[in-house]
Amino acid sequence: MPPRKLYFENVRVGDELPAMAKSPIDRVQLARYAAATNDYNPLNIDELQAKAIGMPSVVSPSTLGLGFLGQLVTDWARGGQVKKASARFTRMLWPGDTLVCKGRVSDRWGEGGKYHVELDVWAENQKGELVVRGNVTLKVFYSFEDETRFRTGQPPLIVNVPRESILVAPPRPPSPAGKVSASKGKVSAKDSRKPAKKPAKPAKAPKAKAKKPAKAAKPAKRKK
Amino acid sequence: MLDRAAVGRTTPPTLNEVERGAIRRFAEALGDYNPIYFDAEYARASGFSNVAAPPSFPISFAAGSDLRELVGVPARNLLLGEVSFEYERAIVAGDRLLVTSRVAEISDRPGPAGRVEVAVIEDEGRDEEGQMVFRARRSYVVRLTRES
Repeated sequence: MPPRKLYFENVRVGDELPAMAKSPIDRVQLARYAAATNDYNPLNIDELQAKAIGMPSVVSPSTLGLGFLGQLVTDWARGGQVKKASARFTRMLWPGDTLVCKGRVSDRWGEGGKYHVELDVWAENQKGELVVRGNVTLKVFYSFEDETRFRTGQPPLIVNVPRESILVAPPRPPSPAGKVSASKGKVSAKDSRKPAKKPAKPAKAPKAKAKKPAKAAKPAKRKK
Repeated sequence: MLDRAAVGRTTPPTLNEVERGAIRRFAEALGDYNPIYFDAEYARASGFSNVAAPPSFPISFAAGSDLRELVGVPARNLLLGEVSFEYERAIVAGDRLLVTSRVAEISDRPGPAGRVEVAVIEDEGRDEEGQMVFRARRSYVVRLTRES
């Protein structure tokens, strides 16, 4: 069966990705992930060593949660290409944790025949706590016609679409945090449905934790 | 303690061959059975030149030396706080990538339980023609242990 495709023309800012529930993380998965990443950190696979340094059990590598978010995005993007992905880990992952991955379209723009979709993504554990949040930029075709042109060596379909977040966000001072607050403003301004409080959550959790290093590092990354 | 002199320390380019079996095992470990990771024909119909690697696959690349050699602290004392990737193109089976890692930043910042040390490592992977394929940036926080 040929794969279905995600096209720019069908995506809107505020669209939600279907939530994806993962099976509970178990120690077999941690062993397989250690092998797959060639990272045999004993804290991830050796219960005795983990306990010896005062941990209740082995801990999952945080990047496993990132991999889950990758799955969420790739399932939804259907052929769209991931150009950028970033994640911040806000809570440790443990065996037994059951993650639900969520996401929404935060922006989209088209310029010079190239089309991009930006997503906010995050994962929550079984207690509803945020464990990882991130942003993903996808490159997609505008439409079936645009893709056909590409495949037949013709120039791309050109539809210039300004960043929609600019259209809906209130103006902000050009600080590194500007983009972050803009995306927050945009979601609440644009989306009156109940999930409006969800993007607030990923944004709020790091603040509540007041993790200075992460906080300071984020704007630098977002600016790129 | 992080080695302050580590900033700028760079590993020599290390060849990473992206094997189809490695992609399959990585996707299976995630519990992700998207056919683009398993079926070359399906991957091609989806716009990839071969079986694709999952977005977080570069985590599995070797960079020639471990974190302890780079920043002077064993990996078990480092907590990954943030990570980001940029891809010039999708990584696919058959790629031969030269990966280097560089210590971009060592700093300490006030945290809720005293000062915390932060190490930022930047990786890049190029193909054998020297074309950039991906960049990554990893921020680690030094975990407080009894010794420290």
